[in-house]
Amino acid sequence: MPYLGSEDVVKELKKALCNPHIQADRLRYRNVIQRVIRYMTQGLDMSGVFMEMVKASATVDIVQKKLVYLYMCTYAPLKPDLALLAINTLCKDCSDPNPMVRGLALRSMCSLRMPGVQEYIQQPILNGLRDKASYVRRVAVLGCAKMHNLHGDSEVDGALVNELYSLLRDQDPIVVVNCLRSLEEILKQEGGVVINKPIAHHLLNRMSKLDQWGQAEVLNFLLRYQPRSEEELFDILNLLDSFLKSSSPGVVMGATKLFLILAKMFPHVQTDVLVRVKGPLLAACSSESRELCFVALCHVRQILHSLPGHFSSHYKKFFCSYSEPHYIKLQKVEVLCELVNDEDVQQVLEELRGYCTDVSADFAQAAIFAIGGIARTYTDQCVQILTELLGLRQEHITTVVVQTFRDLVWLCPQCTEAVCQALPGCEENIQDSEGKQALIWLLGVHGERIPNAPYVLEDFVENVKSETFPAVKMELLTALLRLFLSRPAECQDMLGRLLYYCIEEEKDMAVRDRGLFYYRLLLVGIDEVKRILCSPKSDPTLGLLEDPAERPVNSWASDFNTLVPVYGKAHWATISKCQGAERCDPELPKTSSFAASGPLIPEENKERVQELPDSGALMLVPNRQLTADYFEKTWLSLKVAHQQVLPWRGEFHPDTLQMALQVVNIQTIAMSRAGSRPWKAYLSAQDDTGCLFLTELLLEPGNSEMQISVKQNEARTETLNSFISVLETVIGTIEEIKS
Amino acid sequence: MIGGLFIYNHKGEVLISRVYRDDIGNAVDAFRVNVIHARQQVRSPVTNIARTSFFHVKRSNIWLAAVTKQNVNAAMVFEFLYKMCDVMAAYFGKISEENIKNNFVLIYELLDEILDFGYPQNSETGALKTFITQQGIKSQTKEEQSQITSQVTGQIGWRREGIKYRRNELFLDVLESVNLLMSPQGQVLSAHVSGRVVMKSYLSGMPECKFGMNDKIVIEKQGKGTADETSKSGKQSIAIDDCTFHQCVRLSKFDSERSISFIPPDGEFELMRYRTTKDIILPFRVIPLVREVGRTKLEVKVVIKSNFKPSLLAQKIEVRIPTPLNTSGVQVICMKGKAKYKASENAIVWKIKRMAGMKESQISAEIELLPTNDKKKWARPPISMNFEVPFAPSGLKVRYLKVFEPKLNYSDHDVIKWVRYIGRSGIYETRC
Repeated sequence: MPYLGSEDVVKELKKALCNPHIQADRLRYRNVIQRVIRYMTQGLDMSGVFMEMVKASATVDIVQKKLVYLYMCTYAPLKPDLALLAINTLCKDCSDPNPMVRGLALRSMCSLRMPGVQEYIQQPILNGLRDKASYVRRVAVLGCAKMHNLHGDSEVDGALVNELYSLLRDQDPIVVVNCLRSLEEILKQEGGVVINKPIAHHLLNRMSKLDQWGQAEVLNFLLRYQPRSEEELFDILNLLDSFLKSSSPGVVMGATKLFLILAKMFPHVQTDVLVRVKGPLLAACSSESRELCFVALCHVRQILHSLPGHFSSHYKKFFCSYSEPHYIKLQKVEVLCELVNDEDVQQVLEELRGYCTDVSADFAQAAIFAIGGIARTYTDQCVQILTELLGLRQEHITTVVVQTFRDLVWLCPQCTEAVCQALPGCEENIQDSEGKQALIWLLGVHGERIPNAPYVLEDFVENVKSETFPAVKMELLTALLRLFLSRPAECQDMLGRLLYYCIEEEKDMAVRDRGLFYYRLLLVGIDEVKRILCSPKSDPTLGLLEDPAERPVNSWASDFNTLVPVYGKAHWATISKCQGAERCDPELPKTSSFAASGPLIPEENKERVQELPDSGALMLVPNRQLTADYFEKTWLSLKVAHQQVLPWRGEFHPDTLQMALQVVNIQTIAMSRAGSRPWKAYLSAQDDTGCLFLTELLLEPGNSEMQISVKQNEARTETLNSFISVLETVIGTIEEIKS
Repeated sequence: MIGGLFIYNHKGEVLISRVYRDDIGNAVDAFRVNVIHARQQVRSPVTNIARTSFFHVKRSNIWLAAVTKQNVNAAMVFEFLYKMCDVMAAYFGKISEENIKNNFVLIYELLDEILDFGYPQNSETGALKTFITQQGIKSQTKEEQSQITSQVTGQIGWRREGIKYRRNELFLDVLESVNLLMSPQGQVLSAHVSGRVVMKSYLSGMPECKFGMNDKIVIEKQGKGTADETSKSGKQSIAIDDCTFHQCVRLSKFDSERSISFIPPDGEFELMRYRTTKDIILPFRVIPLVREVGRTKLEVKVVIKSNFKPSLLAQKIEVRIPTPLNTSGVQVICMKGKAKYKASENAIVWKIKRMAGMKESQISAEIELLPTNDKKKWARPPISMNFEVPFAPSGLKVRYLKVFEPKLNYSDHDVIKWVRYIGRSGIYETRC
């Protein structure tokens, strides 16, 4: 009953957690907590017992502590105020003599994702970085990244970054790797962690001490390093040589990528590396870990794009086994298709022919398409196999074979004769839209060579009323008109019937329009129809365009060992394009654009507002937290740079104003209570060049005006003007919302 | 980096859900709806749903899924999932729904230690043991505390200091799986052996071990003087196509001298993994004969021949002969073992408990077919086989395993060593 009746469950658990008898009995207490976690896992909202769970965190039982911390990390964002109560216990645990408890507490504290926790975790993290137990240091280093993440877009703490850089020399390997990860996240805006020569060499020397995860990670970071000289480059490659033979396929792939990238000026080195990883890759391709096998196959395909002959001698390794999962079979067929050459073509085709009768229709169709792909080079053999397949009279096979034929005659006109001979009789075994379209197209374009073409089309015309796919009807119209041009006598009558049906009875507008179009075209005269419909029947040059000869290794080296070969380049491009757009969104408020300000600003204002950032080239930096003291000092030391009066009527909510200002990255330092007269507010903002804008808003009692005074620590009129216009817009907007 | 890790049962109910990053959104449900409930053939172990990548692995009917938003390297994520399975198996055995439900506290503990903020941390089962308090209340003694500190600061990540055993003992298992794809005419289309050397060590202190096997390159290097010895006894050495080692093996030494030396982790670990493709001893030959008698009858005769020393015994032999879908009845006669037609699996399953080497056994069956108007030809899936033999089909032999511990006073002779060879069938298929 996990998804229903959560209230009763919560009530019951709450009661149990409060029961002093249960609290006294450790095992029973822990059991109740376990139940809470179990419900939480199942997706039940357990935030109702937060208070009781916080109480349970004060215990010596480590298991219980772990469970409670797990619970708190999940629900802290929902109950930030209650979570603050737990911080005390956590802080105490951070100085426990047991390093395990220290680590656990620190990790949990950093994982509480709620606003305001930063100020509490800063000190424990700093202590943790200097802890004598490396277990705690590991946690603390990643804690820095978590803390940065919490701040969102806050400024980078230079001291902390330096501390992390120095921890790269830590003696514990995991601390070193965690440092890299943490720095990477903290410095993301600036392009990530910097790998200079000393760091790169240090990491290279530590490589063998790392575990496989660490090695893979470091190999990835080393991609960024550019060796100064050729000598250094080859030294590095020599050092990393053994990782090409690592027991972990991930490390092997990482090392391969690094080799390919570092040696991008030395094609012979690249080829050499690819030869050497052949063994490990083949091993992965035939390993029992199917998912790894899949990934390896994807990469084999990638390599084959550049070096078509690379795996030729091993083609038998890519023969499918009956019991392999579907996804591996599909990949293997693709690989076979790529590595076919004069010597092995016979065996590969034999093998593929076997797959065409596989029980899985999906796989059989993939095999047929693969044969169609090979047919571009070895046309005769393939067409023969495909023709034999038609003899099986299987629906799912016939339809794919006919589609393959259609694509083939377009690219390889020399096989047209053979295809035309094979076609008669197919129509009985085709039911789906794709297959029908392909068959009708072939009959239309090459109808003069197929004796019974008009009769087959006639059958389609007879049954057009019951035809469900509009695309088939469209194809039928075009094909029949084409055939009419070459064999008018046999087609005239049914063309008339088809046009009549399409214009008078057809409900699909596209088909109807196509019918009308052809009808009017016919009215113009037969010569005009010929001129328009009789285009070339094949285009062999397209084949050359489609598979450009070998692609250089450097064109995909940077994609190696990422998700790109797994998804395919095209699919990945769509995924990452969307991701790019998404990533831009949260950045918008930072550049002080108003686009993301949500309901605060009504639609009609948006246009005007969005123009602003461009006009003055003003970039306000977010979250510049000035202390009140500093503000006061600066305020007193500066002269008023600009003073202005805006119309202002009646009551308003200072909170609304504060929020609106927040959106454009203007910080409110201090503000009078709502309704008090005179009402004052002090604001501060900073742009990307470091120029400060300090502002006072003043509402005098009885006056229907707001007085604005702005001070600037660097006198620059153009930024000042754009700042004022931003301010005006915000205040104007609030005014409009009110009225 | 991994944003979250989920474990589901076959119905898609969440058994374990651990989120490390906020950016993955409501990934738990997305995976359930789009993959587990999709009820289609899985087209790829990597799925992209709403720009989030899901990497999944199935163990029996349990789904394990790792989720990420980043462009990670896929091999690493899968390796991590395998490692996760290994670690869980080391703690509670088989990965099943019941075991996961019973150990869910432990699994959360493990997930906490192995991954932090989505980054893999220490994942060696031995080293993890110190941090996991599965049994609970046990409060830490002073000694254990200092142990943690020494372990977490130690230079060697895979072994802690101060291990002591009354009896120094080690077990070596050579586990091989032999894979075969054979054509109906008895021609080998592809065959390979993938093997593992698994070691269980119960040794005190920080022992230095040296492992030797009949690797062709080593034998040839040493055997230059005594060439006649190798020629005399035929196949003495094997050619290894490629091999990989546990992290503890010093690779530099292997590259220069091809000697395998290491300080082993405590307990069980996989010392090496290798693959051979040449001169494989195929333990069994399967000779199929299928004859179609008219449209409603099939005659099948299958002979299996064991091809190893007569003194050895193969076990758990199972031959699976597929039958067409429209089978109505089957009569089987076999000389040895038991054979049964299993309609639900569309196959005749022939089981033989034990079989000595150089023997032959035969099964013949008559299959009655229902006449159908389905023109679809029967695809004739291959005959597959399962077995277990007490030798290594690759021919690998352990020549020695020497143990040196300079600080403690026990020598190589005091260590009790056990070596065992097990050859199992991987995908062992003969087309018919």
